Amino acid sequence: MSPSLFLFWPLVALVLVSAATAALARNLVYAALSLGVSLAGVAGLYLFLQAEYVAVIQMIVYVGGILVLILFGVMFSRDLLGKKVRPNWGARILGGIVGLVTAIACGRVAWIAAERGTMPTTSAPLTLVRSAPESWAGSIATDAPIHLGTLLMNAWLAPFLVIAMLLTVVLVAALGLVRKESA
Amino acid sequence: MIDFLLSGPESLAPYLLVGAGLFTLGLLACVVRRNAVGYLIGIELMLNGGILNAVAYGRFRGLQAAADSQILALFAIGLAAAEAAIALALVYAVFRNFRDVDLDLVRTLRS
Repeated sequence: MSPSLFLFWPLVALVLVSAATAALARNLVYAALSLGVSLAGVAGLYLFLQAEYVAVIQMIVYVGGILVLILFGVMFSRDLLGKKVRPNWGARILGGIVGLVTAIACGRVAWIAAERGTMPTTSAPLTLVRSAPESWAGSIATDAPIHLGTLLMNAWLAPFLVIAMLLTVVLVAALGLVRKESA
Repeated sequence: MIDFLLSGPESLAPYLLVGAGLFTLGLLACVVRRNAVGYLIGIELMLNGGILNAVAYGRFRGLQAAADSQILALFAIGLAAAEAAIALALVYAVFRNFRDVDLDLVRTLRS
């Protein structure tokens, strides 16, 4: 039994509880803030998955960027602290059904994956602090950004350029959307 | 069950469960919320669940799969950023026209 268990399961609980708060809290400010907690927890899970670079990007882009955007967007809502807009009953019932069905389906898939033994375990114990590996073959941790960059510039170059162009288009389009129409 | 708990971060199933939970909660938020920003929070939760699933599957399928899944995750995070920017611009446009972002009230296309 590794000590990382005592970090892992609380992290899982934190992600799920704060995601539930983000999804269901009446108060949108609380919802947005707990979304940030949940996103940071997912970044922690990426650390457990040896995806350190993705974890860092998750913190920068999601917690640093998208969350700030959403907090900015919360200002546009009427139900700030205090006043509450309740979902109507149709939406509640539909939400209950949809949530239940999705939970059962997704949980079933995870359960099948677990039972079939299609969840190979790692041979090396996973710890948060690793010594530097000899090569890429030894670990994907330390050298990962180098290899990810090499892959991005070779095999994944076309999608990379498409995403870059898309981001440019999105920036211009967002500016066009918020522009005053009279101008 | 004990095996499941003890294997913890070194098996695939917990990550799949977290991903499933995030997706479910996000979908629930999208159905229940009447506020556009709450809806956006739901979309972000669903995206996160999906990306977590991808990285988790890649992690347990060898190094090549790990690297590819991480690049996929980076692309998806970039797309999520683009989507959030456009969505917030739309929310702002709707707010300017309707003085509210309640999705039940926003029905006309030209104000």
